[in-house]
Amino acid sequence: MLPIKHTLFLVSGVSSFIIFYMGIVNYLTSVEGVTGVILLIFSVFVATGTLLGTVYISRSITKPIEKLAQNMTEFSKHNKMTGKNQIKTNVKEIFELNENFESMGEKVETTIEVQNEYVQKLKDMDRKKLEFSSMVSHELKTPLVPILGYVQMLQKKELLGDLNEKQTEAVNEIYSSTVKLQRLVGDILTTQKLDLGKLDFNQEEIKVSELLESIIKEFTPITEEKKILLNLEMFEDVKIFSDRDRINQVFSNLIKNAIDFVTSGSGVVTIGCREDKEFVKFFVQDNGVGISDENQKEIFKKFYQIDTSTSRKRSGSGLGLAICKGIIEGLGGQIWVKSEEKVQTTFFFKIPKKPLTITAKATE
Amino acid sequence: MSKSKQKEEVKSYNVLIVDDNEQITKMLTTFLELKEHKCTVANDGREGLAAIKENKYDVVLLDLAMPEFDGYAVIKDLEDNDLLKEHKIIVFTASTITQEELDELVNRGVTSYVLKPIDIDQLLAKIIETADS
Repeated sequence: MLPIKHTLFLVSGVSSFIIFYMGIVNYLTSVEGVTGVILLIFSVFVATGTLLGTVYISRSITKPIEKLAQNMTEFSKHNKMTGKNQIKTNVKEIFELNENFESMGEKVETTIEVQNEYVQKLKDMDRKKLEFSSMVSHELKTPLVPILGYVQMLQKKELLGDLNEKQTEAVNEIYSSTVKLQRLVGDILTTQKLDLGKLDFNQEEIKVSELLESIIKEFTPITEEKKILLNLEMFEDVKIFSDRDRINQVFSNLIKNAIDFVTSGSGVVTIGCREDKEFVKFFVQDNGVGISDENQKEIFKKFYQIDTSTSRKRSGSGLGLAICKGIIEGLGGQIWVKSEEKVQTTFFFKIPKKPLTITAKATE
Repeated sequence: MSKSKQKEEVKSYNVLIVDDNEQITKMLTTFLELKEHKCTVANDGREGLAAIKENKYDVVLLDLAMPEFDGYAVIKDLEDNDLLKEHKIIVFTASTITQEELDELVNRGVTSYVLKPIDIDQLLAKIIETADS
């Protein structure tokens, strides 16, 4: 790129040289010596004048432009008019250019200010939302304590005495609804936290075999009671750095769903994992009713519940899979489902083996 | 012989319940007394703190969110007087509290924690485990 300065000097240099050259030629070829000398002196004056004029013009144009350019660089760096380089100029065009730049800068400054205010307001709103749902959750959980306590006492005949069959049935219904409500309250808060990116994840070393075995141990009493087979299929034992409690929560949601959708007596639920490059791929498979292609796209959405004609008992809050998705994605993984109706359903989720770096977390 | 053995198993503990919610304290008292434990109730933090300082309880169930003088204030006061580690305190809360915050309470000297609502059998197991520890 050619600076204005150099262009001007090039043009004026060439013209000065031509004038000077013509003066010399005139002097050498002129018959009358006096005219030649006068023309030569004149040409020297004109050439020098041109050069000096160029220096003056070049300065009055390039200096303010250079300053303006500096101001622009500063502005783009800090998004703020520093007012460090005051521009003084007699050149109309540059004066106007500077005026326009300054008014544009002021507008950008105000826009940024307004934008920052909005960002702050949104952040405050997020905080208030979370505070509100925390408060609601606290207020909902508190009365659940005596409800759950008394229902459980009623279920123990050694504590509050015998109940007749109908009363027992009623108490059992209250109990299962209370447990469902309790889960819903927890799920709503978790969902809210996931939405606002406020759910904290731990990073700890987890031996996959231990994790899976503990899950099997936790669920075996439930599956045995419902006459469902719970299997473990593990290919390699690996270690991962992730959040044990959260992975447990995902498994728990998926297994509870699987139990709801298989038939007592012939139901089989299999959990397991296999290594997949940088990830460990976990799965929960059941031989239940299956999920149609249409439903497969929707099931990870909040409050989506499959409307089955098989009248399965729907015990969940409708938030379970949305929470699973939020957790797995928060852990840097992915969750998906494969299903063949009336044959089987498999939920897969893969989790990175290595801990998430701060940058990976920030881009979520 | 078998009778004395049974007596050993069903130890009776002295439990202090500090909670501003009367329905909760009433339910817990009913349950724990049916299980042959002795219950004392404090309906706010100040009352609870005074009770802790006056008597030695086997276990203290301490709610966190209480008006004015809350569970945190009770813990802070005990901590300032070097009394926190002398008592077996189970924080019993429905507040939205992170695992880190719970761990921090335990680090400071709270014996254990239980999140509301809880299965009463699990709560009882926790009380016995804490009292025996």
